[in-house]
Amino acid sequence: MTAAPELTPADYPLSINRPELLRTPTGKTLGDITMDAVVSGEITAEDLRVTPDTLVLQGRIAESMGRRQLGENCRRAAEMTAIPDAEVLAMYNALRPNASTAAQLEEMASRLEDTYAAATCAALVREAAQVYAARNLLAEED
Amino acid sequence: MTAVAPRSESTVRTSKRTEILEARPVNLDGFVEEWPEKGLVAMESDFDPAPSVRVEGGRIVELDGRTREQFDFMDTFIADHAIDVDTCEAAMATESVEIARMLVDPRTSRADVVALGRGLTPAKILEVVKLMNVVEIMMGIQKTRSRRTPANQAHSTSAKDNPIQVAADAAEGAVRGFAELETTLGVVRYAPLVAIGLQVGGQVGRGGTLTQCALEEATELDLGMRGITAYAETISIYGTESVFVDGDDTPWSKAFLASAYASRGIKMRFTSGTGSEVQMGNAEGRSMLYLEIRCILMAKGAGVQGLQNGSISCIGVPGAVPGGIRAVAAENLVASWMDLECASGNDQSFSHSPMRRTSRLLPQMLPGTDFVCSGYSAVPNKDNMFAGSNLETDDYDDWNVIQRDMQVDGGLRHVREDVILQVRNKAARAMQALFAELDLPAITDEEVEAATYADSSDDYPDRDVLADLEGARSVMERGITGLDLVKSLERTGFGDVAENYLKVLRQRVSGDLLQTAAVLDADFVPQAAINDANDYAGPGTGYRLSGERWEELKKLRHVTSAENPEEEVV
Repeated sequence: MTAAPELTPADYPLSINRPELLRTPTGKTLGDITMDAVVSGEITAEDLRVTPDTLVLQGRIAESMGRRQLGENCRRAAEMTAIPDAEVLAMYNALRPNASTAAQLEEMASRLEDTYAAATCAALVREAAQVYAARNLLAEED
Repeated sequence: MTAVAPRSESTVRTSKRTEILEARPVNLDGFVEEWPEKGLVAMESDFDPAPSVRVEGGRIVELDGRTREQFDFMDTFIADHAIDVDTCEAAMATESVEIARMLVDPRTSRADVVALGRGLTPAKILEVVKLMNVVEIMMGIQKTRSRRTPANQAHSTSAKDNPIQVAADAAEGAVRGFAELETTLGVVRYAPLVAIGLQVGGQVGRGGTLTQCALEEATELDLGMRGITAYAETISIYGTESVFVDGDDTPWSKAFLASAYASRGIKMRFTSGTGSEVQMGNAEGRSMLYLEIRCILMAKGAGVQGLQNGSISCIGVPGAVPGGIRAVAAENLVASWMDLECASGNDQSFSHSPMRRTSRLLPQMLPGTDFVCSGYSAVPNKDNMFAGSNLETDDYDDWNVIQRDMQVDGGLRHVREDVILQVRNKAARAMQALFAELDLPAITDEEVEAATYADSSDDYPDRDVLADLEGARSVMERGITGLDLVKSLERTGFGDVAENYLKVLRQRVSGDLLQTAAVLDADFVPQAAINDANDYAGPGTGYRLSGERWEELKKLRHVTSAENPEEEVV
């Protein structure tokens, strides 16, 4: 991720006030998303996704409004953009109660860290593993 | 609980008046005594904990009478994620009556009372709102709701899961003013077609309406990722650990899911409400509102932008006990005060009494909330697959008159019949063209005609359900996305609908809809609790129904002309 500029509430909505800061995952601008480009196939479903940089910007705006936790959520989300849809769903299911052993949760945390550079997501999973152990919510070891 | 059977047959003569009262609809409602030991109590219980907090080494080690080793997972999550460690000891030292007065007093700014709230525990918050009567609670909602301009949300469903009906009613709902539209299913496999109907109809009625399809968490996320829906709401959380686990989730799994939605640029809020824990059989002896406040703080800790609360599908439970509807208003206040978008209930059949249905609505409608109803039924209740709402289609005119009487903005407006027929017809034709283009089971001209003039699912020709389910399966298997729908609408001559839909999808790139209480206005400008932040500071400030919008709300189905009493104003 590149260094994000400082933002204030006056920059919101970014789509209106700061469109120059926004890119699609393939590097296109908001203005490039036109009906002609959709029809010609230049814009694909892949373009209609948010980038980690944009999520960091939105997180900063949230924090500038005093919304610390929403900012943190945006940071976790920025990390998760790299994870394929199916794996995001699988990870969510693995975090449900009694769904994973301590070792499986640690494996997931490591994968988040090593494969996706998702350090804050990994920390959330490790925290869950600790609480699940204390509250008897881990799956039985085989 | 009494052992005496109520309303038993009696030979004792009753008065004529009693006979009349016995026959009133309100006496079909259920009322029950409190049972605090089991949590069957709204908000005043001796079994709720006393407020306390203790910080050691930058960490909360005691919360509402429990030490860290006694914490259940809700305590842990709230202590570690929701409460501001740096300010909590000072905040907790403030007298509860002082905080309650700050919520009501217009000279205390929203920002100050929200900042103070960041340091409070669930039991302290409960102690504060217990001091407030229902009018004071409404004053608090008026000040603390996050978005300046109130809005409303509709249910658009079909007892036959008919996607053409859902599209036509979504179009009518959108043109009447709903900012968000929600659907769900009788037969879950119908979901892709019904969700498409909702999205297409919504964009016909007014470009920029946001849609969602309430399903099991993983499926709901899948439809969102494909761009067939625009936001999600049915992400349920609960106030006790045991009920949370029964719901097959934890605060950590739900926090992970919140980030998953945000990572795809999809707006999302959680859902909770008083009564759910006692209804699911494990309130752990706490009052309904205490448990709901734990949910609200859990949602805040997860960093989700908003919460649907106000008892929601459990409204019968607080509705049956003394002070229950006051408690429901109090939970909306707390969600707003904790700086979350609040979609404030009024979304479930609640009473047989029209008078009681209205009184239950006023604590949200009069002060205004981010979404006054988190599901006004934009179909007749017999077609409402959320089991019926507190408001439905035949209440539209009453709603519009109440807005005009009270000069309050409940998010809707009266729309002329010709406009409604036009958008219903266009939505059905757009669906007809789209289904043909995507090789889905044909929609006949007879169905389009029915959709234009229909009230309920009874007014439509039956569809071939097996063929539709096969079509729904193929939508998922072929990996059809929102962008495919846009292209098909463009190719079949519904370019304006396609353009509206594309503009909604484009918001994913900006992430603007991830901010608190964000909606899209008719010009596709995101309006959130940032650029449309609530600035209420007493009389003469905040959102006032005036100007063009007030002129719009003066219009009703029948208004007599001042100049010519023989004429009605159109």
